[in-house]
Amino acid sequence: MEYRFLSKKGIALFVTGLLKEFKVYGPVKKDGFSVYGEIASPSDLNLLHTPTHLSPKQYLFPPRETLLKFRNNNSENKTSIEPVAEAHDQVLFGIHPCDIHAIRLLDRVFAYGTPDSNYLKRRDKTLIIGIDCIPDKHCFCRSVNTMTVESGFDLFINDIGAGFVIEIGTQRGKELLSKYSKTRKATIREISKVADFKKKKIESFVASLNAEASTLPLIYSGSYNSPVWEKIGKICYGCGSCNLVCPTCYCFDVRDDINLNTAETERYRVWDGCLLEDFAKVAGGHNFRKTRAERLRHRFNRKFQYQVDKFGGLFCVGCGRCSRTCLVNINIAEVTNELIEESNKRP
Amino acid sequence: MSLLKSQISAHEGSFPYLPRLARIERITRLTEKERLFKIALDDKKELGHLSGQFIMLSIPGFGEAPISISSPPGRGYMFEICVRAVGNLTNALHSLTKGDMIWIRGPYGKGFPLNDIRGKDLLFIAGGIGLVPMRSLIKTVLNERPTFGKINLLYGVKSPDEILFKDEMSQWEGSGNISIHITIDKPHPEWKGHTGVVTTLMPPLKIDETKTAAIVVGPPIMYKYVIMSLGDKRISGHDIYISLERRMKCGLGKCGHCQINSIYVCQEGPVFRLSDIRYLREAI
Repeated sequence: MEYRFLSKKGIALFVTGLLKEFKVYGPVKKDGFSVYGEIASPSDLNLLHTPTHLSPKQYLFPPRETLLKFRNNNSENKTSIEPVAEAHDQVLFGIHPCDIHAIRLLDRVFAYGTPDSNYLKRRDKTLIIGIDCIPDKHCFCRSVNTMTVESGFDLFINDIGAGFVIEIGTQRGKELLSKYSKTRKATIREISKVADFKKKKIESFVASLNAEASTLPLIYSGSYNSPVWEKIGKICYGCGSCNLVCPTCYCFDVRDDINLNTAETERYRVWDGCLLEDFAKVAGGHNFRKTRAERLRHRFNRKFQYQVDKFGGLFCVGCGRCSRTCLVNINIAEVTNELIEESNKRP
Repeated sequence: MSLLKSQISAHEGSFPYLPRLARIERITRLTEKERLFKIALDDKKELGHLSGQFIMLSIPGFGEAPISISSPPGRGYMFEICVRAVGNLTNALHSLTKGDMIWIRGPYGKGFPLNDIRGKDLLFIAGGIGLVPMRSLIKTVLNERPTFGKINLLYGVKSPDEILFKDEMSQWEGSGNISIHITIDKPHPEWKGHTGVVTTLMPPLKIDETKTAAIVVGPPIMYKYVIMSLGDKRISGHDIYISLERRMKCGLGKCGHCQINSIYVCQEGPVFRLSDIRYLREAI
């Protein structure tokens, strides 16, 4: 790994440079929350070390995305069709390790089987600049092996107080860094300060899981009939907020919008959520996951068991966003720990 | 990342959600709610499906839905679907007439494994519109009748006016190729045949469990009971094939609606061998 040193002031120059070539998205403050937003100038950036409320998945997999356009020519009884895959060169700036892991999982999902050209095209035009972070009370990335990243970024920023130590992830990242900023090779002393930051990070965790990450799929598999599901099902509103904020929730609905003169129809996809009541309901009226308890169990299992079988790797990256967002304080780490405790009691 | 890069370049310019234009060639009213549509693909290229597979059908403005294919393979660019009017899209489809345009993606999913059932006695069990995808397989099987043993079809519907493909069934039966047993759920003044749910047709049936394959398609509620009855007949789970219905939005194993545990029904199904999913939670 190659390390470069960038001064505190140098970062603004670097972002200004990136803005010449790319749309840049990074953490900004909105209504008191830290979220990802588009950056117009370096001063918009709010490079906090604490987690953002929303994940950056929206820039690779937008909440609403056009897939097709139909155009009618009623006089000739003809319809033309045009596929749409919008993408622009973009930089995701200040992405935390958990979210980099999440993006790597989404990459696998959308490339799997029949590749999803809309996602892949956008992904291909995306550069990722990571930054290290300090956990809040909901973060438990350390328990699911996503606290650090070795790849999946173009550049990775470590704040060492006096400046930044930047890890080079790709050639493209290296070129952009040298094009738009003045860096020098980081000294051994500066690189050792990165380790100090990581030590501080480790000491800051409040939440953790009481089992090894590798044992979680089996624990979840054995917890299918746990009373925990009924317990949290009773308080869950079924609002789907957890699905929206989750960096690895990618389910979607496909819908049509017809314009008023009926000449044009847009087919688009929108984020959907498995916590919503109709998610698994078929036309005949049968609902395969009727109760909130069943839907919660499905979502939790998708994170810790089902998707692991299909794509490898836990789909919970420990970002804590679902717990942070839940209106009734259903806490994914606490729920998992309850299941672990039950599992430990089983003979 | 190298995997991703190669995937991108390999599929540059391909759009998995892009449907093909098709036109309605013929509409046949089967019951009050169900119509049979003969569809012709505009590009005159074959659909290339297997019995048991489905398409994603759409009408711009009314959306897209999975619809099973009712005709056997090998009819070039023509195929048939039988659709019950239950929602926005299916009601819109029923309002169309000959020559109108619809859009088709697919075929998707895994069909019935014809090679695994060849040479066997076949027991078809259909509930309601479950007969629709089954018709594709029955017609395929009848086309090569000598390669199969005894064939029985058990068909359960709610009332006599909901019986699909009446004329076709009497043709199939008339040729002595297949014996058909129909039941309706509750007594009906016009019905002189058997009454009761489809499983009540099972006990008198003589079945050689050592060489019978059962094919089951029906509403979600039906499977549990039919599977128990087939168990009573000692048919192994390895010889039972079922087609599972689920909500689907993409057909590509992405949108998540059809997921049962780690299985995507649109990819690994909709046809499953019972022994593969008997213990899969939430499947049956």
